Amino acid sequence: MPLDTDLYIFKSMMLEEWRLHKSFQGAVGSHLFPLVIFLFSAFIALVSPIILTNIDVPRILLILHAAAFSYGIFVGAMGYIGEHAMTRRLGQVNMLLQMPQIYPVGFRRMMAIFFLKDAVYYILYSIIPLMAGIAVGAPFAGVTILSVARLGITVFLTFMTGMGVSFLVSAVAVSSRDAAACLGLLILFLASLIWPFEAIEASWLLLPLGYWDAYHPLYLLSSAIVATVLSVGAVLMMKERFETPQRTHSEMLGPALRMFSDLGGLGTLLAKEWVELRRSGTLAPVVTGYIAPLVSIYAIVWIFGEGIGIPLCFNAVSYGGFVGFLGVTVYSWVTNLESNEFLNAQPVTIYQVIKAKLVLYFLLTTVVSAGYVVSIAVANGQMNILPLALLASFSNNVYVAAVIARLTGLWTNTMLFDAKVLSKFAGAVVPPLVTILFASFMLPSHSSLATQIVVAVSALLLLVSVPIFKSVRGRWRGTPFSFVTT
Amino acid sequence: MSVISVVNASKSFGDVEALSCVTLSVGEGEFYGLFGPNGAGKTTLLRIMTGQLEADSGSGITAGIPWDEPLAIKRAIGIVPEAETPPTFLTARETMELVCKIREVEDPEAKVDRWLDFFEMEEKEGVLCRDLSKGQRQKVMLAAAFIHEPRVLLLDEPFINLDPIYQRRLREYLRLLIEEGRTVFMCTHILEIAEKLCTRVAVIDEGRIVGEGALDEVMAPVGGNLEDAFMRMVEAA
Repeated sequence: MPLDTDLYIFKSMMLEEWRLHKSFQGAVGSHLFPLVIFLFSAFIALVSPIILTNIDVPRILLILHAAAFSYGIFVGAMGYIGEHAMTRRLGQVNMLLQMPQIYPVGFRRMMAIFFLKDAVYYILYSIIPLMAGIAVGAPFAGVTILSVARLGITVFLTFMTGMGVSFLVSAVAVSSRDAAACLGLLILFLASLIWPFEAIEASWLLLPLGYWDAYHPLYLLSSAIVATVLSVGAVLMMKERFETPQRTHSEMLGPALRMFSDLGGLGTLLAKEWVELRRSGTLAPVVTGYIAPLVSIYAIVWIFGEGIGIPLCFNAVSYGGFVGFLGVTVYSWVTNLESNEFLNAQPVTIYQVIKAKLVLYFLLTTVVSAGYVVSIAVANGQMNILPLALLASFSNNVYVAAVIARLTGLWTNTMLFDAKVLSKFAGAVVPPLVTILFASFMLPSHSSLATQIVVAVSALLLLVSVPIFKSVRGRWRGTPFSFVTT
Repeated sequence: MSVISVVNASKSFGDVEALSCVTLSVGEGEFYGLFGPNGAGKTTLLRIMTGQLEADSGSGITAGIPWDEPLAIKRAIGIVPEAETPPTFLTARETMELVCKIREVEDPEAKVDRWLDFFEMEEKEGVLCRDLSKGQRQKVMLAAAFIHEPRVLLLDEPFINLDPIYQRRLREYLRLLIEEGRTVFMCTHILEIAEKLCTRVAVIDEGRIVGEGALDEVMAPVGGNLEDAFMRMVEAA
């Protein structure tokens, strides 16, 4: 196939990616994203002499490169997971990557172009704005432009390594999911050797980071080779033809129906949701997607306290508020399991399905959030405020579910990209969350007042949730299950 | 007696007028065929009649139930939608079991077995719908529409993706339903099949009914051929 055809496919894929972004974020959001990154990084670079006094340069570099590597992993994974997610949500989705099925284009060639497209697109869309922002702010922090240029190169190489790893795992997953899972576990094991076990230096695995130890170009060359080998290896490992085996599955709906039989008609829909959650392999991502931000918050608090030297007054109640708020990610997942188009032909209403999703949401979030809050209270020796923390967690959990169900129904993923819906959501959930957070910060100094505020806000949230839940039925009455299809 | 009645139904999607003052009536025991070019408004009308969509104006009844009771309509009828979309992560058997449960069908196991047998899907009953072929998925959709033995069926391209063996089997089953006094409303592009089954037909074009009548009456002016009758009505519109 001639090079100009490859180039044409590359351009078409770039256009496809851009339109895909626009369909999710809207034209304004898509255009503004690089600008936001630029302004944010410029701001952080400008104020870094003030806020990063207690954190040394190697640690800043480690955080930056770990973030670039994770971002590379995410971008690479989206090529593989993203289409599955979209197909599940929107029905049949045909991307250019699927062309080899019926057109005379090799799948490996398409994968290579796809990889390049992802690399170029996300470098232009996010890495370059990030580095440009740092370049603008860095001179004010006493950092030379040469250092920023070096940083750009090492961040770029780290990002490419992350993408290469992600593509390699995806390529292995096409042949064997078990092998891909083993590979994923190996990567997690290696990462754990860096942190928390601190058994090896991060630069042993993230070669671009090693450059900052010795300033030797060999590190750059070797990391470029590693990134290339990973990505070329991934492309070569892709099969030109693969098929989905038609496996027989054992009955799962019957036991699920029995499990939820006490709930009557709601139990039937809940059983369907439960089977879909299990069979789609979504249970693990849902729980991980819920826990990951909680761990991130813990990490941020740790960085502020240990790294920057500004200890945040986070306690079990603060975490309780957050854990409730983050339940929105779980609701988003459970509404993204299946398109529900089939239910158009059945005598069920949107409201009944939303109720089933909400029960599933509470089943998933209650255990995890309670476990998290109890762990934090035990770890910090704050058992005295555990009941208050559990109340803050539960009330936020209930309230967020009511608001999100009312605002987005069964289409959370798509509708939260609507600026109006997002601002309504933020307007409804951020003020009580912030109030609880501030009250929790006051606990050590004004225990009685802070407790009263947390209890009052939590009670108010629970009370307000009742009419909101009741209004969900009216809000979505008459809406077809295929309300959002594109 | 009319079991389906549509009176001046209109529907727009933004600037696009999908239906404009559509009026028709289907009597009990009739096999009614609705034909039309792509984008003529067939599926929109069917979705309104089955309680999936709300008309902007106009009124109607389906299975004798007014349109403002969509849930009651869905309970009373069987629907085969345009796209074959059984639940991705349920097996063929589980999908039918789910429908039986939702519709509170008596003796569900026997009913599920009967329809698996009818479509010779026994070997596929444990396969996820995601992994079935289009034809097999369509069989699951058909079984899910027939399993509660409704008095009124509304079918959107029910023969699509079925091989000739099952097209014939389905045809014979639908004919049997009519003999039992049940009512079938079908949208299709396959005029050869429609000619063999329908007792009355209508043609819709650009959201308007451009011709309607008993099958013999409609075909008579063009020498007994439904395809020619269809072309003539659309061209005259």
